[in-house]
Amino acid sequence: MGRFSPTVVDHFTNPRNSGQVADASVRAFVGNPVCGDQILLTAAVADGVVTDIRFQAFGCSASLAVASLLTEVVKGKGLDEVAALDADRVVELAGGLTPDQRHVAGLAADVAHRLVDNFHQGVNDDDPISCGA
Amino acid sequence: MQLATMLGAPGTAMRLPQQEWDSAVTAALVDSFTVHHVGNRFFRAQCDAVGVSPGDIRSRADLAKIPLIPVSMFKSPDAHVLLTASLNDIELDIRSTGTGGVPSVARRDTATLTRAVTGIMGTYRDLFAVSRGAGLFLCPSTAEAPEMGMVKVFNLLNGLFDDHTYLVRDYAFDPEEAVAYLNRWAGETTRHVVGPPFLVNRLLRFLELEETPLQLDPESLVITLGGWKRYTGESIGRDEFDAKVGTWLGVAPDRVRDMYGMIESNMLAVECEHHRKHVPPWCYISIRDVTDSAVELAPGQTGGIAILDATNSGYPGFLMSDDIGEVDESGCPCGRTGQTVTFRRRRQGAELGCCAVSIEKFIESNELVAECAVPEAVR
Repeated sequence: MGRFSPTVVDHFTNPRNSGQVADASVRAFVGNPVCGDQILLTAAVADGVVTDIRFQAFGCSASLAVASLLTEVVKGKGLDEVAALDADRVVELAGGLTPDQRHVAGLAADVAHRLVDNFHQGVNDDDPISCGA
Repeated sequence: MQLATMLGAPGTAMRLPQQEWDSAVTAALVDSFTVHHVGNRFFRAQCDAVGVSPGDIRSRADLAKIPLIPVSMFKSPDAHVLLTASLNDIELDIRSTGTGGVPSVARRDTATLTRAVTGIMGTYRDLFAVSRGAGLFLCPSTAEAPEMGMVKVFNLLNGLFDDHTYLVRDYAFDPEEAVAYLNRWAGETTRHVVGPPFLVNRLLRFLELEETPLQLDPESLVITLGGWKRYTGESIGRDEFDAKVGTWLGVAPDRVRDMYGMIESNMLAVECEHHRKHVPPWCYISIRDVTDSAVELAPGQTGGIAILDATNSGYPGFLMSDDIGEVDESGCPCGRTGQTVTFRRRRQGAELGCCAVSIEKFIESNELVAECAVPEAVR
């Protein structure tokens, strides 16, 4: 494998579902407040299924690619399936991540779980990405 | 002189007759411009929009025609469009955050990194002439902050010392520990202090409040990088800083050396003993009218700092920064030619963004900094 898997290269170069869902049912943000990677997910949820989802991400190349990949994986899935995503599965879906990149798998799983938790609790995260940009 | 020769012998390149440097930097930048014009669709579109191509750049006066990328684009979620190199050639993401919290990420490819490392090491050797001693680094280690631009730049300097320690650990800085290291090395090796001005200042405040002046060594250097304004908004004045370094560390002003750079560029301007920051010979700094960035101002006039860097192959190294300053091409008493740059302030409305701010936030994310907690105890 090169520095990045073909899947990561593809999603970094051609990001899917970037931006924000208008009138989103739920918003979830996870990030390192100092200088780390940041992912914001906004999603529409109907009958327990993620019907639309978009991302905004800042940080390393792998984090941008994995955020894009995550939206493809989550779209159309039930919230219980989203909650079951873990970092190992994200690594697998990404076609492998090097040791320096593996932290983004945890970030992706964290933001997916937060999306589900926020929806169940009826809360939305602030939007530090848009506010700061 | 070709780019590779300049990178390998920056000391020679920085002393070329002005006309020779002029030709060398122009040729290197035309080569770089050609690479990005051919290989980068986004950049090519910018060139087409203003009707400029590499064939239009015939002299240094023409360099101002090259389209500039605003550094704010490195915070954009669409930053992938900046890449000339493919993602698989990208070796290192370097980042910094400002007060807004959105990281600026600059992706270096392998060729860029090789050039940057070679050029920066050569610049250190020429400006600092260090090959021994111990470095007290008032910043996190690369292990703790692996992608922070300032830390990477300091880490290269570390390679020139015999011993070192990084003193921002676990999100905290303890000036007492810094003093302990300096005392431990006393009489055994030349001691150097390296860090962002605000942390060196915290060390100085500690020494002042403890009333324990130190006398470092005749060849000691205090090397700073990362901006003179703090996240908290407090400014640190250079003259006052130099005076305090003299009083509390025993280091003369000509051994206090500041550097200027930004994570989006490989350009690192390093001060000589006359406190002039020398622009590397493979870079050209163009000062632009703040109301119309297409207008280049003459040396000595103050405006927006644009950096044109011939070492970038991963993305176009032609950047419009958020910094205000001026250049001087009058030649320096130290004998170096080319340009020197003076940073004055951030552009109005620009967020305060630099690695010093990142480190300050890095520390403050774990401790609510009352400046220098130890002196509080002795009041």
